[in-house]
Amino acid sequence: MIRYLLKRVASGIALLCLVSTVTFMMVFGATGNVARNILGENATADQVTALNSRLGLDRPLMVQFGDWVSHAVRGDLGPSWTMSESVASALASRLPVTLSMVTIAVALMALLAAMLGIAAAVRGGWADRAIQIVSVAGFAMPNFWLGLLLVLTFSVELGLLPATGYVSFSASPSAWAASLVLPVTSLVLSGIASASQQIRGAVIDALKQDYVRTLRARGVSPRSVLYRHALRNAMPAALTVLSVQFIALLGGAAVIERVFAIPGMGSLTVSAALIGDVPVLMGVVVTLIIVVVLVNILVDFLNAWANPKVRMS
Amino acid sequence: MRNRLILSALTAAFLSVPPVAQAEVGNTPETLAIAGILDNDTFDRAGLSIGHRAQYWMPVFDTLLYTAPDGKTMPNLATEWRFNGDGTELTLKLREGVKFSDGTPFNAEAVKANLEYLRDGVGQNTWMAGAIKNVEIVGPAELKLHLKEPDPGMLFNLATVGGAMASPATLGKADSKMLPIGSGPYIYDTARSVTGRQYVYKRNPDYWNAGAFPFETMTITPINDLSARMNALKSGQVDAAAGEGQVVTEAEASKLTVSRLPVDWLGLFLSDRDGKMVKALSDVRVRRALNMAFDEKAILKFVARGYGEVTDQPFVPPSEAFDPSLDGTYQYDPKAARALLAEAGYPNGFSVTMPDIGTLAPYTPIITQQLKDIGVTVSWVKVPPNVTVAELLSGKYPMFLFRLGSQSPWADFNKFAFANSPWNTSKAKDEKLEALLKTAQYTPPGKEQNAAMQAANRYMVENAFFAPWFRIDSIYISNAQVKVQMQAQNIVPWPRNYAPAK
Repeated sequence: MIRYLLKRVASGIALLCLVSTVTFMMVFGATGNVARNILGENATADQVTALNSRLGLDRPLMVQFGDWVSHAVRGDLGPSWTMSESVASALASRLPVTLSMVTIAVALMALLAAMLGIAAAVRGGWADRAIQIVSVAGFAMPNFWLGLLLVLTFSVELGLLPATGYVSFSASPSAWAASLVLPVTSLVLSGIASASQQIRGAVIDALKQDYVRTLRARGVSPRSVLYRHALRNAMPAALTVLSVQFIALLGGAAVIERVFAIPGMGSLTVSAALIGDVPVLMGVVVTLIIVVVLVNILVDFLNAWANPKVRMS
Repeated sequence: MRNRLILSALTAAFLSVPPVAQAEVGNTPETLAIAGILDNDTFDRAGLSIGHRAQYWMPVFDTLLYTAPDGKTMPNLATEWRFNGDGTELTLKLREGVKFSDGTPFNAEAVKANLEYLRDGVGQNTWMAGAIKNVEIVGPAELKLHLKEPDPGMLFNLATVGGAMASPATLGKADSKMLPIGSGPYIYDTARSVTGRQYVYKRNPDYWNAGAFPFETMTITPINDLSARMNALKSGQVDAAAGEGQVVTEAEASKLTVSRLPVDWLGLFLSDRDGKMVKALSDVRVRRALNMAFDEKAILKFVARGYGEVTDQPFVPPSEAFDPSLDGTYQYDPKAARALLAEAGYPNGFSVTMPDIGTLAPYTPIITQQLKDIGVTVSWVKVPPNVTVAELLSGKYPMFLFRLGSQSPWADFNKFAFANSPWNTSKAKDEKLEALLKTAQYTPPGKEQNAAMQAANRYMVENAFFAPWFRIDSIYISNAQVKVQMQAQNIVPWPRNYAPAK
C-alpha cells in the first residue's frame, strides 16, 4: 500500500514538472506586452523597455525558466508583476476561498448524490424515473444561471443572504457560512445530476454481482447487503466520480466566483491571464496541480480503506 | 470509532485553513461602501493611477490641489499657487499644522521628496512630474517648482497623482505597496482589509478638513463583473458603483439613482496620416470622407443606448480645449464622402486593415458596412484582450476604433498630438500643429491659453486627425443612502463627492 502511494506521489511530481514546464513556455510567449499592460497607455517606449529589463524579461527564456525553477523548488514563487503582494501571499488568501467552496460543494454533492443514486438504484420504477428527470433538468441548468436566480431570490428580493463577496471563517463563522450558501448551492445543484447517475449505475452493477445473490440466499438482511457489502464495492466508482467533480469544480469555479464576486483562485487566474502576470499564473498552475494530485492520492487511500480488494491488488 | 476518528481528522484539517484573511466590514449608515471595477494594484506613491483606481489611494493620500466636481482647480494642501510670467516657475504655499498619520510633519521638504520620488520612479504617471527640473524650498511652508518648460497640465497633475502626498518615511520602502501612510481624511485599516477582497478606511481623527468627508468608515470592494455589482447594489451591500448603459433601466426600476457625465470619447483614430501603410490616408479629403461616413446619431442611439453626445472633436467639456462650435463639422453624408474620395483620386475606394477589439465588437459590423457604403473595404484582425493597448500602440494599424478617456487638455495633447505621443501611433509629425501647441504651452494660463488650445483642437478637427463619433457618458449608480456628484475628467467620483442622503 505504502509503495503504491509512493508511486502515486512520484507520478504526481512528474506531472507537476511537466505541466509547469509546458505552461511556462506557453505563457512566456505572450509576455512581450506585460510591461505595456502594467505601465498603461501613457508610458513611453523607454519606460516599457526599462520595466522589461527590471522584470528580467530581456534575458533568454531558459535563463528565466531556470531562475523560476530554482526559486520555486525552495518555495519562493516570487513577487507578482502586477499586484502589490507576493505570489505566495496572493495564493494563500485565495486558495482557502476556492477550496472551502469546492470542498463543501463536493461533500454535499456526495451526500445528496449518494442518497438519490441509491434510492434510484434500489427502488427503481417511478422513483428512479423521477430522480433521472430531476437529474437531467439539473444537468441542463448552467451553474452561473442558477447562481443568478439564487441571488435575485435570496439576496435581492428576500435579503436573506449576501449577494456577493466572501468572509473568512476566522473572521466570523456565521458570515463565512452565509457567504458560501448561494455559491455552493449553485455548484451542487448543477453537479449533482451526473454524480447521482454514476452512483446509481455503480450500485445497480454491484447489486447484480454473484456475491450479492449468495448473501441474499444466506438470509442476510437487504439493508446489510446494501450498506455493508454492495456499497463498499460501488465506492471506487463513486469516489472516482466525486474526485473528477472536485477537479472540474476547481477549474470551473471561476464562473461562480465571477457571479458572486468571490476573490478565489478563479478570479485570480482570470485577472492574471488578462494582464499577463506570469508569476501568478505559474503559482496558480503549480498549486492546482498539487491539489489535484493530493485529491487523487486521497481517493486512492479512501478506496483502499473502504475496499480490501483494492489493497490486495 | 475508526470512522469517527477519520471524520474528525478531516474536519479539523479543513477548519485549520490558515486565517490569512480577516474581516469583511458590513455596510452601516456611517459607512460609505463602494464597489470598484478594478482591484487596487499598489499603494506605492510612484505607481498610483487616476481613473478607477484613484478611489483606493485618495482616502489616504491627500493632494496638493484638488479638482472640484465641475473640473475647477481648488486649494487643498497647497493653499495658494502662482506661475511666473513665462510659466516656468510655480510657487506653492502650503497648509501649516498638517501631519502624516505616522507623525511626520507635512511641509515643503515632504512635498519635494514626494515630487522627486514620482518624477524619478517608473510608475505609469511619472510624466505628471516630468516637467519639474528641480524643487526649491523657499521656507517650511513654501516652495518653488522650476520647470524645464511650461506645463499647462501641471495644476491638474498636482490635483491628482502628481500631488498625492505620502509620508516621506515610506517613499521607496517595500511595504509601502501594501501599507499607505498619508495625511488624508482616512487611515487605511490593515487589520480589517484583505487585498483583492475588501479595502477598509477609518476616519483620520487629525484630518484638517473632516467636514468634507462625512462618513466614519469607507470600504471599497473590487467587483469586476457588472451583474455582480448590480446585485451588490440592489441588495444594499454597497452604496455606489460604476454601471454601464445596459443596466440603466434595471437600476432605475430598482429605485437606484443613475448619474451620468461624458468623460471618454469614442471614434476612429486615423493615425496613418503620412500614408506609410495606406497611402489614401495621407490625403485630408480621404480623412474628411471617413468623418462623413458614419451615422453617429443612429450608432449612439441604437448601440450605445443614447448615453452620450455626438461629437467631432477629441476633447470633452469642461476641458479648456473643448470648442462646442466644432461639433457638427462633419455631418453624416455618404454621398458627399464618396465624392470626396473620388476627388482625392479614390473613386473605387481603398482597402484597410483594422484591429477587431473584443470590447468594441458591437461596432465592428457597423464599421464594415458604413465604410463599404463609401467604397472602403475593411479586413479585420482579431486582437486578444490582454494585448489590446500594446497592439494598438505598436503602429501596426493605419486606423482603428478606440475609446479614450479625457483628462486635462494638456495631458490629452500629450497623449495624441505630438510626434512622439503614444496615441499618435504612426508617429506622424505635423509642424503646424506643433507650432500651435507651442503657442498654447507658452501662453500664461487663462483665456488666451484656452483659446490657443482650442485653436490646436480646431486644426486637428479640420485636418481630420480622428473621426470621433460621440462622447460617452460614464454611468454611476448609487442607492438611496448616499448622494453622489460625478467628477469631471474622471470616470468615477472622487471620495469627497459622496455624502449621506439625509
